[in-house]
Amino acid sequence: MLQYVVVGLVFGSIYALAASGLVITYVSTGVLNFAFGAFAYFVARTYYYLHIEHDWGIVPAAAVCLLVVSPAMGLFFYLVIFRHLRLSSQLIKVVVTIGLSVVIPAAATMIYGNGQIFFVPGLAPQPVHIYKVFGTAVTLDQVIAYVCVVLIVVVGALVLRFTEAGLSVRAMVDSEAMTSLSGSNPSRIAAGVWVVATFLAGLAGILAAPVIGLDPGKFTLLIAAAFAAVIAARLKSLPVAVAVALAMGVAGSLAQYFLPSDSPLTTNIVPAIPFAFVVISLIVNLARSGRVNEEEGVGGALDRAITPNGGTRLAASADTDNLYPRLNFWFPVVVFLGIALLPLVFNTYWQGLLTTAAALAVVFLSYTLVTGEGGMLWLCQITFAGIGALTTAQLATQHGWPVLPAVVAGGVVAAAIGVVIGVLTIRLGNLYVALVTLTFGLLMERLVFTLKTFAQSGAGLALVRPGFASSDRQFTYFALGVFAVFAILMVNLRRSTTGLALNAVRWSENASRTMGLSVIQMKMLVSGLAAFVAGVGGGLYALAHKQAVPFEYATLAGLVWLAVLVTFGVRSNIAALLAGCVFVMSPAFVQSELKLNSLWAQIPVLLFGLGAIFLAMNPEGTVHAWAIGLQRGLHRLTRRSAAA
Amino acid sequence: MSSLSPGSPTSSTSPAAADGAPADALVLEARGITVRFGGLIALNDVSIEVPPATIVGLVGPNGAGKTTLFGVLSGLLRPQEGDVLLAGRRVTRAAPSKRARLGLARTFQQLELFMGLTVREHVVLGYRVRAQRPRLWTDLLTAGSLHRPSDGERRRVEHLLDLLGLRAVANTPASALPLGIARRVEVARALATGPSVVLLDEPSSGLDAAETHQLGVALRTVVDEERVSLLLVEHDVAMVLGLSSTVAVLDFGARIAYGTPEEIRRDPAVRSAYLGDDEAVDGAGATTSAPPAEGSEP
Repeated sequence: MLQYVVVGLVFGSIYALAASGLVITYVSTGVLNFAFGAFAYFVARTYYYLHIEHDWGIVPAAAVCLLVVSPAMGLFFYLVIFRHLRLSSQLIKVVVTIGLSVVIPAAATMIYGNGQIFFVPGLAPQPVHIYKVFGTAVTLDQVIAYVCVVLIVVVGALVLRFTEAGLSVRAMVDSEAMTSLSGSNPSRIAAGVWVVATFLAGLAGILAAPVIGLDPGKFTLLIAAAFAAVIAARLKSLPVAVAVALAMGVAGSLAQYFLPSDSPLTTNIVPAIPFAFVVISLIVNLARSGRVNEEEGVGGALDRAITPNGGTRLAASADTDNLYPRLNFWFPVVVFLGIALLPLVFNTYWQGLLTTAAALAVVFLSYTLVTGEGGMLWLCQITFAGIGALTTAQLATQHGWPVLPAVVAGGVVAAAIGVVIGVLTIRLGNLYVALVTLTFGLLMERLVFTLKTFAQSGAGLALVRPGFASSDRQFTYFALGVFAVFAILMVNLRRSTTGLALNAVRWSENASRTMGLSVIQMKMLVSGLAAFVAGVGGGLYALAHKQAVPFEYATLAGLVWLAVLVTFGVRSNIAALLAGCVFVMSPAFVQSELKLNSLWAQIPVLLFGLGAIFLAMNPEGTVHAWAIGLQRGLHRLTRRSAAA
Repeated sequence: MSSLSPGSPTSSTSPAAADGAPADALVLEARGITVRFGGLIALNDVSIEVPPATIVGLVGPNGAGKTTLFGVLSGLLRPQEGDVLLAGRRVTRAAPSKRARLGLARTFQQLELFMGLTVREHVVLGYRVRAQRPRLWTDLLTAGSLHRPSDGERRRVEHLLDLLGLRAVANTPASALPLGIARRVEVARALATGPSVVLLDEPSSGLDAAETHQLGVALRTVVDEERVSLLLVEHDVAMVLGLSSTVAVLDFGARIAYGTPEEIRRDPAVRSAYLGDDEAVDGAGATTSAPPAEGSEP
């Protein structure tokens, strides 16, 4: 049993490092870094590159990774991105870090290649020395992990408590404005915090790599588990975060000890442990009404007072006299009709891709609804799509339902789950929504999607399209039809009283509440509706592939979907359709038309990630900006010709 | 405001409460409100009464606790002690949206406009929140966007736009408005909810003299014609003393004076709170020529 505690403490140590990095950046700079796992992965991959692929010694490789690469990365992203986000809304900050989490692994693949890696060494020399402590084997790698955590906790506590730098950081948590007035430079402190946080990320990454392997997905999973500790710490308390992280690691390991090792239950329960911690902390927080006031973000009363009016929520723009121009009616219609012509022009290969694109567009509409209209960041819309797909397949294939009612039922199941998550999280604020939906997605993916009835050893259940939409062309039109119906309903919603109310809630919750709108109720409605749309979209997606394959609905792929949609515009329905088309077709275009190797297929992903980062600052998105530009140009042209 | 919530009122001064409340019952009352932020006492046992169709002024130097009191009254802050009564009904623990539905509206000193909505949409939303609650299903499925607004809605919205001089900017998004107009949009939105009492937090700050005068006239009109009560926080002491029929003065979280504008002007405590600023107190009434509110009561 001690053996299991030893292993569990290693996981706990890694969680603790990650959780400290997350908490310290959140409390002192107001950013909850969803790209922490990507940072960790990048540093670990660099270590592998130097140490194994270029035969550097352990010490120089580790030193370069931890003392040069990690801090440089932190400093770089602070200077280029986060410095400018100080006054942005939480939603924008989270989208930007998600964009980063998409970009960094893609960049790593482009830099280091995508060769298979089977064995990853840690910081201990090979072969790893094994000590005997109380009759239990402890490897040097494990000892190093413990020592690192103890050092970090002790040094961190001492620095925060007794040094001037620590005092400045603690002051900045209270009020950035006051700190700068009393002679410290908040930018320098924030840069320092980012450097420390990326150092912790790098350390966690190098320590974790031997245990979990070098796979960006595994890293994000690991960090998602650390999020559980962060939630338990109510995003704020460093000691609680470390304690819960260690407890979680040991609990996971002990679960393996106590449960029979050959039972599938064991493999399922272990990944569920962080989620159990999340649910417990959520219920505790709800009971204590531990809402984190994100509007206040960093700082005290003075910071709020000097915040430019409205500037907290919208990106600074020179175009002040028309910040939110509205789009004409004709633009979306023309684009829609243009895309509707494609199945008639394309050959069979591209027609096949179009079915996927049209179905994906429906899923994307759910992001438009929940993020664009509702102003919330749900990171598990892809999971809802998966739930829709799997429900459709179960009902249609195993229970003999006709396909279309099965698709609708998939939407209903997703909506029901969405409402439950909404009840648990919305009251606590947007950050909790993002954190919990991410954890929920990962849990479903590992716990439910892997069940035999759904996975069918990876292939998934086969699905038969309805008779009237059996060919690719017919199915594309069917999916486009569904898209059009949802899009029109959403336009309708946007223009109605509910739409006005949602818009109001997005801009000022205080004003909405004091004028009699129930903010929570509004958000719940949108969430449920969006989950329904995602579920239906997922059903269509499965029908497009004629197969409901669970692993296609991986939560991390959902982050890429979100980045794509944000790039195109999260408020516009037609952007969802364009995003679906471009996302499905651009990798195929790079590979089959430009005949470039598979590394280049990373380029679209890279671009979408970057797009999300830069366009988070323009919430209406590319499509909207282009369309407005076009509209103005045409307007000018017509005026000129009228004058002539 | 139909029925009493079970066991709520411990009201002694206005026992008649909700149903068929007598005309002279207070629309809004705060009793012994105390708010502490850590060691700082922001409000110390402050009481205030707002009768129907009157303007009550609330003045005090910076940091006196005016905005905190507004937070407590509108439900964004919970007091440690004391009670808030709305039309005789205790709402100390009620959510802001509940209070709004009971007839309380407010504006914000730090503007809280909906940047994505036009001026008209602010007013329309305010009207509909009270007159027709947003309903998702009907809005989704009954072509809600194609409905023509009801006559009542149109009349009310146009009236408010005219009253506050917003007709010219009715279709401008709030993000493009200068401060002076934005303040009036806040007032219009609050009035659109059909309130019985409106809390106005510094409505004239950032307005020039002409705009301030126009706002004063508009507020007077609302009180006289629609029998709305106003609780008015202002830096412009002259404006408050000119408009209000009763004035409360806060200093360091305590109420140091309460009475008619005449009494307030003479009060030595007020003069010492505004030490060196006699002009602010004496010059009152010069800019606004509104009649005392009692004159409008039946």
